[in-house]
Amino acid sequence: MGRWRLLAIHVTLLTVASLTMLPLAFMVNNVFRSNREFYRSFFSIPDAFKGLARVAGAAAVGDSNEPVQVEDEQGQSRQMAPGEAAGVYFRQIKRGPAMAWAVLRPYLINSLIVSILTALGVSVLGSSAGYILSRYRFLGSRAALVMFLATMMFPGVLTLVPSFLLVKNLGLLNTYWAMILPYVAGGQVFATFVFHSFFKGLPEELFESARMDGAGHLGLYWNIVLPLSRPVFSVVIIMNILGTWNNFLWPFITNTDGSHHVISSGLFALATSQHAQNFSTMFAAYAISSVPLLILFVYATRPFIRGMTSGAFKA
Amino acid sequence: MIRPSLRSTLGCYAIILPGIVLLLTFIYLPVVWAFSKSLQEFEVGGPARFVGLANYREYLTLDPTCWPSVLNMLMLTMFAVCVRLTVPLIVAKLIHSLPRERWRHFYRVMFLAPIVVPGVAVQLIWQGMIYADNGMLNSLLSAVGLSGWARGWLSDPHTALAAVMMVGFPFVGGFEVLIYYAGLSAIPDSVNEAALLEGCTGVSKFFRIDIPLILSQLKLILLLTVIGGMQGFEGLFILTRGGPGFKTTVPGLWMYFNAFSFQRMGYACAIGVLLFLAIFALTLLNLKYFKSAEDVKGES
Repeated sequence: MGRWRLLAIHVTLLTVASLTMLPLAFMVNNVFRSNREFYRSFFSIPDAFKGLARVAGAAAVGDSNEPVQVEDEQGQSRQMAPGEAAGVYFRQIKRGPAMAWAVLRPYLINSLIVSILTALGVSVLGSSAGYILSRYRFLGSRAALVMFLATMMFPGVLTLVPSFLLVKNLGLLNTYWAMILPYVAGGQVFATFVFHSFFKGLPEELFESARMDGAGHLGLYWNIVLPLSRPVFSVVIIMNILGTWNNFLWPFITNTDGSHHVISSGLFALATSQHAQNFSTMFAAYAISSVPLLILFVYATRPFIRGMTSGAFKA
Repeated sequence: MIRPSLRSTLGCYAIILPGIVLLLTFIYLPVVWAFSKSLQEFEVGGPARFVGLANYREYLTLDPTCWPSVLNMLMLTMFAVCVRLTVPLIVAKLIHSLPRERWRHFYRVMFLAPIVVPGVAVQLIWQGMIYADNGMLNSLLSAVGLSGWARGWLSDPHTALAAVMMVGFPFVGGFEVLIYYAGLSAIPDSVNEAALLEGCTGVSKFFRIDIPLILSQLKLILLLTVIGGMQGFEGLFILTRGGPGFKTTVPGLWMYFNAFSFQRMGYACAIGVLLFLAIFALTLLNLKYFKSAEDVKGES
């Protein structure tokens, strides 16, 4: 490939990538800006950063006791000592994240509880059902597999309202179970499907020899299924956590009293509360809500990309 | 596949039982309820009255939102299909054509990275940052002297639907890129070499070799996008709540409002059933008429 064509491809890809990232850049930028700055322009270096740079610059050239002009949130400016000014700027930077954190912490914990328990349930049920249904034939095994796969026909929009009625009748509204049980029930289907097709491709001799050694279901699962299917587990778990983390409507509906909000429904509740008046709080909340998945992303990108590109995803 | 002994068969049943119970309770029971309760009229906790097909008749003939909202849904879905079948594919092709694996990995990670931001946050950022009165769009317009064009993009009846469509610009979903990329990587070297020998390169190779060979990926994305477009309404709920007027209302959103704002549970179930039937029919059509490379090979 010619050098110019290569350059053109890089320029195109980088442009598209930056456009994709633009809203995220706004998000991070606004975490540190006051409402006044927000109204002045949609994008600028935060005043607090500029102020800190000014204080640091003054300290660097030596006149560290010269008073500095500091503009507060209301736009009134006054003179103060550099140390005091730095404190004011730090408080300005910290304010949005601190307030957002105070509101979001319980939501974050709820999200973690729900998504971890769901992922655990889905991967245990999915892998064991996938293993049983791919390796054994017994009365009803076919029917069970069809029962699993047939649920893919039913879109969420069909079952949303009746599921709500069901959860309400079971007395599960405003509990973790209102989320975990339906999530596991739905999530295990995809997991079973993926594990089933993975185990089908494994040679029977593998299982046969272990059975000869007297291994039962548990032994086979523990010694063969688990170690061999680690990449499948990572894809299933990551996809599941992503789904749970992003699901906004169900937690929003089943938390009638707001006591069990998760991150996404909590963000929406936040956006309709009085906190929405403070833009830095809101944008800090968006940023904080992205951190857990960012951590997951950093650790799991490689296995995830490998799993996704393995060719299992086509119709 | 082996036929296990009796004892081991009981073990098999015991292992798959919890999953089956969850499936029956939380999926099959709601599916049955969706149909049965769509024939009733009731509020949550209130007495139910059997009304036959009245809910369906009311929605299809009397409800003023019905056809406008179906039209909105079709426009949103068609737009989504157009962009998701093209933009991520082009990006995947560009990434795939880079000679160095390091760069290919770098770009795949770059385009996947935005998935860490929850969908709700993305919608709220677009609402509060891009489309807001003093947001990016209006600021840019007044910066180039077109301040007359500035408006509340999501509240103006003329622009609301288009504004909703454009959320997510430039529409490069990380998942789709990965899926297309996987398809492109799976094209055998022998095919690529033969194409090169025949002098088939660049755009003509893209259309004559690449696209026919990744039809199964295109089909998957098409299916997912159509299903998602027909039933999705979370974004609309966050961005516009269906307004202004009913300009951005879709049947799914109307179902939500009927259930959870107007307490018309039976009516909501009827809308859900109709949506399910439409999605089901489209899925069958899609599977029947849009054949993937494997199917074609299997028949010849």
